[in-house]
Amino acid sequence: MHWHRNAAAGIAMTLALLTAPAAASAENLIRVGSPYPTSTLDPMRSSSAGNIEVFGQLYSRLLRRGADGALEPGLAESWGVSADGTVVTLKLRDAKFSDGSPITGADVVFSLLRVRDDKESAYSAPLQQLKDARAEGDKTVVLTLKHPFAPFLGNLEVFNAGIVSKADVEKRGKDAFTKEPVTSGPYIVSEWRPNDRLILKPNANYWRTGFPKNDGAELIEIADANTRVSMMLSGELDATRDVPWSRVSEVQSREGLTLPLEPSTVIYMTLLNETKPPFDDIKVRQAAAYALDVPAITKAMTLGHAKPATTTLPGALDYHASDYPGIPYDPAKAKAMLAESSYKGEELVLLANATGDNDKLSVLIQAQWAAVGIKSRVEKLDRGAWWERIAAGDYHAAPSWWYNETLDPDLAVRWALCGSCGTKSFYTGYNNKKVDELTETAAGELDPSKRAELYRQIQQITTEEVSQIPLYYAPYANAYSERVKGLGMNPMLQWSLEETVFTGE
Amino acid sequence: MISLSSASARRHFGPGAIEIAAGTAIILTWVVLAVAAPLFSGADPNGIDLIGLLQPPSADHFFGTDHLGRDVFSRVLHAARIDIWMGIAGVIPPLLIGATIGLISGYAGGVIDAVMMRMVDITVAFPFFVLVIAIVGMLGPGLYNYFVALALVGWVSYARLVRAEVLVLKNREFVTAAQALGYGPIVVMVRHILPNTFSSLLVFATTDAVLVLLAGASLGFLGLGVQPPTPEWGAMIADGQPYVVDAWWICFFPGLAATTLGFGFILTSDGLSRVLGR
Amino acid sequence: MSSLSALGQRLLQLIPVLIGISLVSFLLVQLSPGDPVRLLLGDRATAEAVAHLREQYGLNQPLIAQYFSYLSNVLHGDLGHSIRYQMPVGSLILDFVPPTLFLIAYVVAISVPATVVLAIVSARCRDRWPDHLIRALAILGMTIPVFWLALMMSRFFGVELGWFPVSGYGKGFLEHLHHLFLPAISTATWLVPLLLRNLRAALINETESDYVTASRSKGLGEGYIFRRHVLVNSVLPTLNLLGVMIAFLIGSSIVVEIIYAVPGLGTLMVGAVLGRDYNVIQGLTLFYALASVIVTLTIDILSTTIDPRVKL
Repeated sequence: MHWHRNAAAGIAMTLALLTAPAAASAENLIRVGSPYPTSTLDPMRSSSAGNIEVFGQLYSRLLRRGADGALEPGLAESWGVSADGTVVTLKLRDAKFSDGSPITGADVVFSLLRVRDDKESAYSAPLQQLKDARAEGDKTVVLTLKHPFAPFLGNLEVFNAGIVSKADVEKRGKDAFTKEPVTSGPYIVSEWRPNDRLILKPNANYWRTGFPKNDGAELIEIADANTRVSMMLSGELDATRDVPWSRVSEVQSREGLTLPLEPSTVIYMTLLNETKPPFDDIKVRQAAAYALDVPAITKAMTLGHAKPATTTLPGALDYHASDYPGIPYDPAKAKAMLAESSYKGEELVLLANATGDNDKLSVLIQAQWAAVGIKSRVEKLDRGAWWERIAAGDYHAAPSWWYNETLDPDLAVRWALCGSCGTKSFYTGYNNKKVDELTETAAGELDPSKRAELYRQIQQITTEEVSQIPLYYAPYANAYSERVKGLGMNPMLQWSLEETVFTGE
Repeated sequence: MISLSSASARRHFGPGAIEIAAGTAIILTWVVLAVAAPLFSGADPNGIDLIGLLQPPSADHFFGTDHLGRDVFSRVLHAARIDIWMGIAGVIPPLLIGATIGLISGYAGGVIDAVMMRMVDITVAFPFFVLVIAIVGMLGPGLYNYFVALALVGWVSYARLVRAEVLVLKNREFVTAAQALGYGPIVVMVRHILPNTFSSLLVFATTDAVLVLLAGASLGFLGLGVQPPTPEWGAMIADGQPYVVDAWWICFFPGLAATTLGFGFILTSDGLSRVLGR
Repeated sequence: MSSLSALGQRLLQLIPVLIGISLVSFLLVQLSPGDPVRLLLGDRATAEAVAHLREQYGLNQPLIAQYFSYLSNVLHGDLGHSIRYQMPVGSLILDFVPPTLFLIAYVVAISVPATVVLAIVSARCRDRWPDHLIRALAILGMTIPVFWLALMMSRFFGVELGWFPVSGYGKGFLEHLHHLFLPAISTATWLVPLLLRNLRAALINETESDYVTASRSKGLGEGYIFRRHVLVNSVLPTLNLLGVMIAFLIGSSIVVEIIYAVPGLGTLMVGAVLGRDYNVIQGLTLFYALASVIVTLTIDILSTTIDPRVKL
C-alpha cells in the first residue's frame, strides 16, 4: 500500500516543518490570565478593560494611587493649586523614559493635550476642563482650568493620562505604539502577540528605584472562564481575572490559591430606553424597578458574593450614598403603578450581550417582570451587534454593567446619568436638566461635604426616576497563586504588578 | 438496486431489522417524551425558583435544579422538541442540495464539475461562525436563521461524498451497460447511480444530525443559536459548564439526552444501511 | 490530458474561487451589524471619535469602492492592516498558523492509523464482539459533546493527575506534542468514529460486491482480495471525507482551541469576529480558502494514485 507510505511521509514532513524554532523565554515571568484583550498600546486610543489594565504598566501618570487609594506623587513630585482652584502647578521629578531620555514638561503637555484634542482620542472627558497646559522650563508644568474643578487631580491619574514621549511619537507616528513603545512606567514591551499575549519586562529607567520587584510579566488572553480556572488549578497561571461566581469557593478552598474578592467600581444594572414607549413613562420605569427582587437576584447571580445596589452609582465611588435605601421590592405596588401607566401589555425586547452573565440576568428579569405583567423577550447578541443597537436606541431594556476608571463620581455621572454630557446617559436617553446642573455644580464645588450632598441629590433623583435599574455591586473575583506576593488589583483596574515578588514554586 | 441482485440474495434481514427497531424505538421514545413533555413533568421548564438553586437530583426534581432553580428534568424533556427538530431540519435541506450537486457534478464532469467543485471550495473556505454571525445579524437571532446558515454550508460534505462515489460508480459495468442500452443521463443518475450512494449518505446524514446538534451548542460561545430561556440541550450544557464541579447534573443530563438521541439516530442508520443491502 | 496540465488547470481555477471568496466574505462582514471602531475605542468613546476614526479607516466610503481598493491591494499581495491592532494582516495570520497546523497534523496522525485498523477489524469481524464493541465506542465518541469532553479531560488529566498541560502551545516539537495532546485527542474522539463508520460501511459494501464474489470464485485468497480490491476501492470516499474534515478543522478548530487556550487560527478568528476586525476576517477567509483548496488538491492527487480511474 504505497499510499500509506506517502501519507506517513507527508505527515512526518509536515510535523518537521511545523517545529517552530524555540523562542527565547525569560524565566520567572508572572503569568496573568484575562478575558479582556489588549488591542492597542497607545493610552489615548482605547477605554476598554484589557487596554486599561496594560496602560498602567507602561505609562506613569503625574499622580498615582497608593495602596489605600489616596493620591500620591507620581511623575510630579509635588503640586500646588491656586486659591481660586483654576491653576494647578506641578513640579516634575527627575525621571527618564525607557529609552533613557528625560521626561520633561513638554512631554507632559504633549501627552495631556493629545488626550484632550486629538481626534482619535477615545475618551477626552477627564481633561475637558483643562483650558491650557504649558511647560515652564523642563521640570514645571502649569495647567489652567476653565473653572474650578474638584475632580481634576484625580483625573490626572486616569488610565489615559499616562505620559508618552513627545519626541518618539512625533518621529515614529503610529508605529510608536505598535513596535517597542517608549514607556515611562514600570515595564517595557518585550513582545506583543496581538490576540494572544503581551510580555512585559522591567523598564531599567523607571523612576521608582527598586521597582518592579520581578523579572516581568506575561499577560495572556484566555477567553473561556473555565479554562482560566483550570490553568490556575494546574499551576499554568499565577493570577487570573474573573473567576466565575460558581467556582469562587472551589478556588478559595484550594491550597496555594487565594481569591480575596477585591472592591471594584463595577455596577450591574439594567438600561431602560427612555426615548420611546413604554419606558419614556416614568411610571413604567418605576413599576419595572419595584418588580425586581434585587437582593434575591444578586444572590442568585453571584451566589452571595456581591452586594445589592441601592443607587445608580457604583458602591466603591467617593460620595456614594450608602445609607440611601434604594428601591424596595414591591410587586403589588408595581402592578398598581403599571395599571395607571401607559403600558398596555406589549412585548418588550430585553437585549443581552453574550459576554459575562448578561443572558442569565435577562432571564431572571424577564421572569420577575412577567410576574407583575410586563411581557418581554430576550435577544442575545454578541457585543458588536449589541452595541450597534444600544447606540441606535433599538431596544427596550438591556441588563449590563459598567465601571468607573477613578474613585471620583464626576466621570461616572457624566457617563451614565447626565443627559447633556455627550453619551446620552449611557444611551438611555435619560435627561433631567436638574441632574445636568447638579453635575456641573458638584464638579465645581471644592468643599467635600457640600459635594457629598450634591452627589447624594443626584443619586436620589436618578434612582427615584429610575434612570437605570441598579442591581448589584460586584467585587473583582481575581484569583492569585501563593507563588506571587503583593499582587492585587485596585478598584480602577490597575494591577500592583510592580510591587509583586515572584517566590517560585 | 438492480445491480446488486446477487448481493441481495445473501442479505440478512435479522440484525439490520433489530437495529432499526431499537434505533427508531429510541427516537420515537424521545418524540413521545417531547410531545407529551407536560404530562411527564408538571414543572414549568422556565419556572425560576431563587430559593431552590442548584439542588441535586431528588424525588421532587429527578434531575435536580439549575443555577436559576429551574427543574432540569422538565427542561431536558421540553428541550427535546427543539433538538429533534434541529437534528432533522438541520440535515435534510443540506442533504438534498448536496446530493443533487454531487450527483450532477460527478456524473457530468467537465465544466459543470469544475464550476460546482469551485463552489464547494468557496463554501468550504467559509468559516462557519462568520457566516452564522452575518446571517443572524441580517435576519435576526433565532433557530431558523441558524438552519439557513447550516443549509448554506452543510451541503458541501454531501456533495463531496456523493461526487466521490459517483466517480467510482460511473465506470462500473452496470452503469456503462445502462448507458449502452440508451438510457438518458437523468435516468442513469437517478435510477442506477443514486441508489448506490444511499448507504454512504445515510451513514453520514445520521452522523451529521448529531454533529448539527452539537454545533448548536458550541455556538453558545458567541451567544448565537437558540435564544434564552428556551430550553435546548446544547445551550443547557453551555450554561451548566461553570457548575460542572459543584452541580454536575446541570450539564450531565442534557449531555446524556443528546447522547441517547444521537445513539438512536446512528443505530437506525446502521440498521437501514444493512437492510438496504450494504 | 496529462495530470500535470490538469494540475495547472486546477490552479488556474483557483483564481475565480479566491475572487469569489473575497467578494462574499467582504459583503458578509461588512453587512453584519457591529462597528469595529466602537469596539476598539471602548464603551465611553464619544460619537465624534468614532466618526473620525471610521472616516480615517475609509469605513464610510461606499462598499463598492472599499471592495475594489481591497481587491487591488490583495492582488498586490497586501492583505491590509488590522483595524484593531494597526498591524499587517499577513504577518498577524502567519503568527497563528503553526499551532493550528500542528494540531491538525497531530489529529490526522492519531486518527488515520486508528481509523484504518479499527475499520478493518470491525469489517472483518462483522457482527462478532469486536465489531459490536468498536461500533458502540464509535457512537459514544461521536455523541459526546466535544467541549464537555474537553472540559472533563482538562480537569482530570490536567488538573487532577497533572499529566498534561491544560493550555497553550509550548516551545519546540516535544512541548508542542505535550501541550496539544489533550486538544488532539478531544478532536480525534469525534473524527475517528466519523471516518471509521464511513470506511467500515465502504469495506463491507465492497466485500459483498459482484467483482469480489467473482474474484473469490476464481480462487483468489481472501486476504489478497481484501488488500488488492476491497481496501483500495473503499478508501476513496473516506479519503474524501478526511479531506473535507481537514479543511473543516482548519477553519473550525475553534471550540477546542478556546477550551485549551491554544493560540491558533480559531482563537484569532473568534477575536477578529467579535472585534469586527474586517481585514483580519477577510484575510483569514482567504487563507482558509487557499488551505482547503490545497488539501482538496492533495486528496484528489492521492485518489488518482490509489485508483487511476479517478481523474483529476
